[in-house]
Amino acid sequence: MQKHITQQNLNTLLDTLIKEGKRVVAPRLNAGTPLYEPLTSSAEMITDQLPKRSGKEAFFPLCEDIMSYEKEGQQIKLTDIDPARFPETVLVGVRPCDAAAIPVLDAVFSWDYKDEFFLERRNKTTVVGVACTTADDACFCTAVGLSPSDTKGSDLFLTPLEGGGYHCETQSEKGEALINSHQELFSEPNGSKTVPLARPQTEKFDLEKVKKWLDEHFEDPAWDSIATRCVGCGACAFVCPACHCFDIVDEGTEKSGKRRKNWDACGFWKFTHHASGHNPRDGQPKRYRNRIMHKFKYYDDKFGQTLCTGCGRCIRLCPVGIDIAQIVEELNKK
Amino acid sequence: MNASLPVPATITTIRPLTDDTTLYTLDCGLNTQNNGVASFLPGQFLELSLPGIGEVPISYCGFPSAGGAIELCIRHVGHVTTPLNRSVAGDAVGVRGPFGHGFPLDSYENQDLLLIAGGLGMAPLRSLLLALLNQRQRWGELTLLYGAREQGALLFLEELLQLAKRNDIQVQLAVDRLEHCLEGPPNCRVALLPALLEQLTIRPDRTCAALCGPPVVYPYLVSGLKRIGLPDERIHLSLERRMKCGVGRCGHCAVGTFLCCCDGPVFNYAQLAGIEGALA
Repeated sequence: MQKHITQQNLNTLLDTLIKEGKRVVAPRLNAGTPLYEPLTSSAEMITDQLPKRSGKEAFFPLCEDIMSYEKEGQQIKLTDIDPARFPETVLVGVRPCDAAAIPVLDAVFSWDYKDEFFLERRNKTTVVGVACTTADDACFCTAVGLSPSDTKGSDLFLTPLEGGGYHCETQSEKGEALINSHQELFSEPNGSKTVPLARPQTEKFDLEKVKKWLDEHFEDPAWDSIATRCVGCGACAFVCPACHCFDIVDEGTEKSGKRRKNWDACGFWKFTHHASGHNPRDGQPKRYRNRIMHKFKYYDDKFGQTLCTGCGRCIRLCPVGIDIAQIVEELNKK
Repeated sequence: MNASLPVPATITTIRPLTDDTTLYTLDCGLNTQNNGVASFLPGQFLELSLPGIGEVPISYCGFPSAGGAIELCIRHVGHVTTPLNRSVAGDAVGVRGPFGHGFPLDSYENQDLLLIAGGLGMAPLRSLLLALLNQRQRWGELTLLYGAREQGALLFLEELLQLAKRNDIQVQLAVDRLEHCLEGPPNCRVALLPALLEQLTIRPDRTCAALCGPPVVYPYLVSGLKRIGLPDERIHLSLERRMKCGVGRCGHCAVGTFLCCCDGPVFNYAQLAGIEGALA
């Protein structure tokens, strides 16, 4: 289904959804930092900046409770969290690189064991993607086979129109349901042209070739030189739309508290550290190798996709200037 | 059912095995609410919780069908296992499991079995050993090689020395060094496991080896077993990784494309042979 919507009507739509009790998550400024966060009003939404962290938080929060405990004498009481309490959500203004990571995460959280926390939120969320009109020199979605107009992961996809408003194209039943529920705000396409989209300046990687090199070079001097600067801060994993490793920790007092699931990063030395002191990945090059291997080989082996959508956040944020696009580009030349 | 939610279990007995290692018996209750945590296969593991402190993966150590009771052999070295040392009988802990693949008992039918344990690796192999002895007639020859740093670190020593008296199992113990003991217990030599292995006569075409030990010994044991002609598929080893969620999501226990918690922790070496760093 194809429709148009004016900016004003889009704002009305978001405000109406909020009034209906839905959680509307969109890019907004939090103390000056753009993040995907629940809106209290459509006026808070920003469209000109890529949020610092990805949209995955809508399904896979940075921290979430998975259980609560109480202790009384020698007894303990362990209480489940009911995922049914998660609200209906509309995730709006999602960039193609963030939206494309959602199906990637779907695979992880439902491949064998079905993660009800993730899947319940996912089922209750409608994803409204928006095409990118600007790219910076860290953007490389085109290198990993996506594009500023890629609709992967979106239920409804918006493309800005010349003179304001958006062209809307449904990608799933959820997207159609969203339009049908507020039809009066949408109009038939009127011939307005869409604005020119961003054109990231990176060439497409031959991901099969990269994977083949990774298949054969677990041990290679390149890893030491690639990772020599890595300080193991984990920032790359925290801003990544596709990284999904998490830690499980208890927070509370001896008497009561919560068990929580927190994001984790394979770049941390403690990620694989055993109580015995042994560490299967006992050096930063081994940990950084795992990051690259997981993104461009292991994940592909298992799910037939690449665990990178080229958003470029890790490049922008790395405190020591490690550039994953450049690394893969070099592997591509080997 | 949220697989992250443990069920309470009560510590019924606490038996110190060595200076730093304790055997706990937990009563998981016989009701179905315990989510089958007491029905496991040797080699599988569970997640043990001290609420407020955390959760750690622990191998099952006891006989697989002991009516709601499970045995866990725990070394007090980590952030959960150290405070666990202060527990007393009657304390409740959280358990969830079983997780992963255990040793492939059905494929052991009529086979000779060679169990090789190093240090704390005896814990999961004791579970296998008890299961094998329980149906002794199903298997061929049984051999256990077990090595530890020193005599005081040999777990279940009394039990193993009793076993050594039986004529349907061969038990060989080894210590790295004698320390203050002038001589080791009977059946015990001062040697490393690979040296014990070298002097063993086995029938490679009908032997399966089950290994559990610290990562450092695996390359030596695997190459030793290959040298005496054991095919990769007949070498089963339990990998140690930091399994957190137990159900293949959290990423901590990744071994190449495998996740130790659901693809392992027991692998046959043919699965791992192409994965560099797997034995690390």
